[in-house]
Amino acid sequence: MIFEDDETLQMYVEESLEHLSDIEDDLLIIEDQGKNIDEELVNNVFRAAHSIKGGAGFMGLTTIKELSHNVENILGMIRTREMVPEPHIVSILLKAFDKLRELISNIATSNDQDVKVHIDALVSLTTDSLPENEKQTVTKIMTISPPGSRSTIQTSQFDIDQAVKEGKYIYLIEYDMIKDIQKKNKNPIEVMNSMINSGVILETKIDIESVGTLEEKGPVRLPFIVLFASIIEPDMMTVLVEIEEKYIHSITGEMISDDSGQTNEKISEKKEIITESEQAPAQKKIEIKPQTAGTKKKKQPPKKESVKTIKQEIKTLEIEKEEDQTNDNKTSSASTPQSSLRVNINLLDTLMTLAGELVLSRNQLMQSITAKNDRAIEISSQRIDMITSELQEAIMRTRMQPISNVFNKFTRVVRDLSNQLNKDVNLTMTGKDVELDKTIIEAINDPLTHLVRNAVDHGIERPEERMQKGKNPTGEIVLKAYHEAGQVNIEINDDGKGLDGEMLSASAVKKGLLSEQQILELSEKEKISLIFLPGFSTAKEVTDVSGRGVGMDVVKTNLDKLGGIVDIDSEPGHGTTIRIKLPLTLAIIPSQIISVGNERYAIPQVNLDELLRIPASQVKERIEKVGNAEVVRLRGTLLPLLNLSHVLEIDQSFVHPETGEVVQERRREIADRRSLKTPKFYNEKEMPPEEKELSTSAEDEEKRKHTDRRYRAASAINIAVVSAGPFKYGLVVDKLHDSEEIVVKPIGRHLKDCEGYAGATIMGDGKVALILDVASLARMASLSSLEGTDRVSGEEKKTREKELAQKDRTSLLLFKNSEKEHFAAPLNLVERIERIKAADIETVGGRKVVQYRGGSLPLYELNEVAKVSPLPDKQQYEVIVFKIVGKEIGLMVTPPVDAVEVNLNIDATTLKQTGIMGSLIVANHTTLMVDIFEIIKTLNPEWFKDKGIEKVTERADGQSLGKILFAEDSAFFRGQVEGFLVDDGYEVLTAEDGEEAWSLLESHVDEIMLVLTDLEMPKMDGFQLTKKIKNNSRFSHLTVIALTSLAAEEDVAKGKSVGIDDYQIKLDREKLLERISYYISVRD
Amino acid sequence: MKKTDSKKSNNNMLELATFYVSDALCGIDILKIQEINKHTVVTAVPQSAEYVQGVLNLRGRIVTIIDLGIKLGLSPIKKNKDNRNIIVDSQDEQIGLLVDCISDVMIADADKIEQAPANIGGVQGKYFEGVFKTDNSLIGILDIEEVLKE
Repeated sequence: MIFEDDETLQMYVEESLEHLSDIEDDLLIIEDQGKNIDEELVNNVFRAAHSIKGGAGFMGLTTIKELSHNVENILGMIRTREMVPEPHIVSILLKAFDKLRELISNIATSNDQDVKVHIDALVSLTTDSLPENEKQTVTKIMTISPPGSRSTIQTSQFDIDQAVKEGKYIYLIEYDMIKDIQKKNKNPIEVMNSMINSGVILETKIDIESVGTLEEKGPVRLPFIVLFASIIEPDMMTVLVEIEEKYIHSITGEMISDDSGQTNEKISEKKEIITESEQAPAQKKIEIKPQTAGTKKKKQPPKKESVKTIKQEIKTLEIEKEEDQTNDNKTSSASTPQSSLRVNINLLDTLMTLAGELVLSRNQLMQSITAKNDRAIEISSQRIDMITSELQEAIMRTRMQPISNVFNKFTRVVRDLSNQLNKDVNLTMTGKDVELDKTIIEAINDPLTHLVRNAVDHGIERPEERMQKGKNPTGEIVLKAYHEAGQVNIEINDDGKGLDGEMLSASAVKKGLLSEQQILELSEKEKISLIFLPGFSTAKEVTDVSGRGVGMDVVKTNLDKLGGIVDIDSEPGHGTTIRIKLPLTLAIIPSQIISVGNERYAIPQVNLDELLRIPASQVKERIEKVGNAEVVRLRGTLLPLLNLSHVLEIDQSFVHPETGEVVQERRREIADRRSLKTPKFYNEKEMPPEEKELSTSAEDEEKRKHTDRRYRAASAINIAVVSAGPFKYGLVVDKLHDSEEIVVKPIGRHLKDCEGYAGATIMGDGKVALILDVASLARMASLSSLEGTDRVSGEEKKTREKELAQKDRTSLLLFKNSEKEHFAAPLNLVERIERIKAADIETVGGRKVVQYRGGSLPLYELNEVAKVSPLPDKQQYEVIVFKIVGKEIGLMVTPPVDAVEVNLNIDATTLKQTGIMGSLIVANHTTLMVDIFEIIKTLNPEWFKDKGIEKVTERADGQSLGKILFAEDSAFFRGQVEGFLVDDGYEVLTAEDGEEAWSLLESHVDEIMLVLTDLEMPKMDGFQLTKKIKNNSRFSHLTVIALTSLAAEEDVAKGKSVGIDDYQIKLDREKLLERISYYISVRD
Repeated sequence: MKKTDSKKSNNNMLELATFYVSDALCGIDILKIQEINKHTVVTAVPQSAEYVQGVLNLRGRIVTIIDLGIKLGLSPIKKNKDNRNIIVDSQDEQIGLLVDCISDVMIADADKIEQAPANIGGVQGKYFEGVFKTDNSLIGILDIEEVLKE
C-alpha cells in the first residue's frame, strides 16, 4: 500500500466524494429509463466510477480499486447495451457505490475492509449477462508482458475483451514516479484524469520489482505501470502521456499470456483460474477489429483535436491546482474531508471587497479619533456598522447550503423502502434550492430521513388497500421546503392512511402516559401530537396499534435542539402532514434579553410568544395558586408559571419599591435573617393583613418568601410567555430588556451537565449572558406539557366553579377620564385598544376623527355626553375601540387601561346619568359604568334611526314589535335590558326568578313571543325554566334566549340539552337586539 | 506520558509558573499556559458544579472559570486583588483556573522531579504529575487534565 502525501490523498477523497454525490440520482434515472438509456448519463456514472478506480490505483487503495473496477464493468455493459439496467442490477450498483463512499470516507482503513460480498454480486452480474462461452473471462487472469520491458501487469480477460470489442488499442505505459511525475511537478491524479479523458484505465500497478539492482546502469526508476485502453493511435500516445516513447508499449495478442503459473499479485480473491489457450484473446482481437474499424476511422480526426484540447485542459488544471494549493495551505489543519467547503467565487470576492471596506473604515475611524472629530467618528461608525452587517450576511451565505443536499437522498430512501415493502410510492420534492446553514443541514438529515421512512412505512398503504379505498394505487409523498418569515419551513406530506387520534390516545392510556381524564380534555390535534410524547412509541406493539411513530419523540427532541418547531396534522384516511420550522442559521439568532438577579439571559425569539407585565394592583387577581403551581390568567386561559430564579436557584434581587434601586447583597442577608430568625417581625412589617395567618413552618416560610417578594410586593411582575413545542408557559423574570441579535457561542465541557442553557453569548458590554433553553427549563421544573394542561384544566374548573358560585362575574375594562374619575366598560364590547398621538387627531365637521387603516375613526370623549371632568390635554391618548351598529368608534380615555373580572354589583340609581349606567366599586374606587350605546345614540341619533324606521314599517299596524318575557334576578340588568328592549319597540314582562316567569308565562301565553332568561336565578334557574317550557306543548314553540355574563362552554352544552335556542351576552345590546329581531321575524 | 511531554522542553529543563491555592504552592509547565489575567467580570452560571466560578468573555471566546481551591478540595479562593485566572488549553477548549495569587516562574530540572506523594498540603496526590523541591519550598506540578476532569 502506497499512500501519497496527505494533500494528494485529500484531493482524491474530496474529488471522489463529489463524484459519488451525483451518482445516486443518475442511477435512479437510469433505472427509470430502463432499456432506453441516456448514454450521456450512463457515461457520467461510468466516468465517475472510472476516476475513482484510477485514483485508487495510484494511491495503492486496492480495495477501492477493485470494487470500483467491478462497478465500472457493469456500467460499461449498460453503456454498450449489453445489459439492461433492471432494478435488481441498479440495487447492486447502488449498494456498491454506498460501500465505495464508506471506503473513501474512511480512506485510511479502506484496504482492510472486506468487500467480497459486493464484488461477488457484481462479478456474477457481469458473468450472467455474458454469452456462455465468454463467462469464464471475467475471472480469468491474464498477464501482459511486453517484450523489452521487465514490467508485467495482470488483468482479467474480460477487461481486455471489452476494450477490444470497443475497438480500442491497448497500451502498457510505464510512468516513472520520480522522473515523469515528481520531477515534472505533476500530480498523479491529474495524470490519471488526463488519461481517463481519452481512454480507459484497465489496471495499474506500482512495480517495485522492476526497480532493478544497484549494479545496473542508468538512473533508478520507480515505475508506475498503467494498462490503458484507448482509441488514440500509437503515434499520438506520446503526446498525450508526455513520456518517452520507449515506455509506451502497444499491446498485441502475443504479449498477453495466461496467468495460471504466476501468483505474485493478490489474486487469491478471484475464484477460479481456468487455463485457456494463449492465443484466444489475440484471435478475438483479430476477429473483432475489422467490425469496428469503420466507426473507429470516422472518429479519429476529431480525436486528434481532442488530444490538443486535453493538453490545454491539463494546463488549466495545473493552474487551478496551484490556486487550490494556496487555498489548501490556509486550511491545512483540516483533517477530515467534511471540514472543507466549496464557496462561490463571487461570494468570496464580495467578502474580499467588504474586508477591504472594513479596513478603510477602520483607518478613517482611527484618524477621526486622533483628530477628535466627533462628526467624522459618527460617520465612520455608521459605516462600520453597515459593513459589519453586510459582512455578517456574506459570511453566513458561505455557510449556506441548498436543502437538496438532504432531499436528494430521499429518492433513494423511498425507492429502496417501497421496493422492500412492495408499495408503490411517488416522491415529489419542491424547494430544493432553499438554503440553510450547513450545521442545520447536517443536523436535520436524521430526523427528516426518519419522517420520510415513516411516511413510506406506516403512512402509505399497500396498493391493494389503496385501490379498495378508491385511492390511486401509487402513494404520493410530497417534500416541500420554503422560506417564511425568516424561517425555513419543511413539509412532509403523504396521502396515506393518516393518524387516528383515538387510537393514539388509547395506547397512551394503556402505556400509563396519560389518564382517561386527561384524554377527554385533549383536542383532536393534541391527540395526534401525542406521538411526540417521550416514551410513547418505543415499544413495538404501539407501532402496530398506532400505525406510526417509532422514535417520533427523538425526532422532536432533535429538532427542538435546533430551535425548530414540529407540528403534525392528520386526517384519518387521507394522510398526514408534518411541518417543521427551522431557523436559517444557528450561529446568530434574534433573542429577547431578560434578567434575573444581576445576570442577563437570552431567550431565543423562536421560543418567545409574548411579553406580559402584570401591574402590582392586578397581581392578586391574575396570578393564582393551585397547589404549589402558580398560574396566570391570560385572555381567558390559564398559563402555568415558572419562576426563573426558582428553577435556576438564583438568589433573588430586590428592587426597592420607593427608591427603585437594586438592593441585592443586603436584601439577601436580611431576608435570610428574617425568615430564619425573626419571622414574626417579617410578617408584621411586610405582609398584607390576610397573609399574616400563614403558618411559619419551614416549607411555608420558603414559599412565602417568594410569594411575598414576587407577587405581593409593590412591584409589577414581568413574564415572558414562551412555548416549547405545543406547550406554553410563563417565565417569571425580574426585568425585560431589549430584543437583540446574539451570536451563539458554545459553552465549556464543565457546563455541559447544566440543563437549561442552549449556549452563551457576549453582550454589548463584553459580559457573557447565557442563552436559555425553554424546553429543558420546563423539564427541570417537571412542568411537562401534559402535566401543565392537567394542572391548568383542574385550575380552570375550580375557577369556573367559583365563578358560577359568584354569579354575574363579568370582565370589565377599567380606565380613567380625568386623573381622578374611574370608569369601566364591559370588555366583550371592546374591539381593541389603540394609542394615538394628539397631533394625529383631525377635527372635521365638528367631529374628531383619526385616520386609521385607510378610514377615519370617529373619536368621542365622555364629557361630550356625561357630566364628568374633561380629558386632560396630553401628547397621546389611549383609544378604546367599540363596534356599534356596524361602525367602529373610538372613546378617548386616560390610561391605565386594564382588564379585570369583577362581581357586577351595580348601583343603577345613585350615579345614573346620560351615558352612565350606574356605579360599582372596583379595587376601592367608585367606578362609573359607561353605557356606550347611550353615548353614541345621544351623539349620533341618526345611526340608530335607520333601524327603527325599518322596524316601524314592518309593524305599522301594531304599537309594539312584540311581547318578550324577561327573567333576571339582578335589578341592574333587569333595568338595563328592559330599558333597551323597550327603546327598540318591544313590550317587556319582567320576572325576578324562574318561578315568577313561569306564572307570567301561564297567564300571558298568547301574547309572549319570546323568552329571555338569565341562567343563575334563585328558586328556579334558567335551565329549569327552559326545560319546563320546552317540555310543555303549550309553550314549546317559544324561542328561549339565555343571557349570561360569560358564555362558558359547559353552560352552552348544558343549555342545548334542555333546549335553549341561543346564548347572548348581557351587555351586548346590539347583538341581542339583532337576535331577538331575527327570532321574532322567523316566527312570523 | 504526560510527564515526558513536560520534560521535552529545553534540555530537560522546564519552566514552571507557580501560584498559590490556599497555602499550597502549585506549578504548571509554562508552555501549557495561554495567558494569565485578572478579569473579574465573571457571569455566574446557576446550576453548575460548585467549582465553576462562572464564564468569562476572553476575546470572543467563552471561557469557563474554575475555582481551583474548590476543585482541589481546599477552601474556595478568597476574593482579593491578587486573584488571577490562569488560562490553559485543555481538549481544544480554553479553561480558566482561578488561583489565590501568582508566584515566581521557576526553572526546574525535569530529572529532579519526583513522584507526587499521596497528599500535598491537603490536596490529593492524583492531581499532580510530580513534585519539585527547591531550597525552601515544595512545588506540586499540576496534572491539568486530571484537575479538569468533570
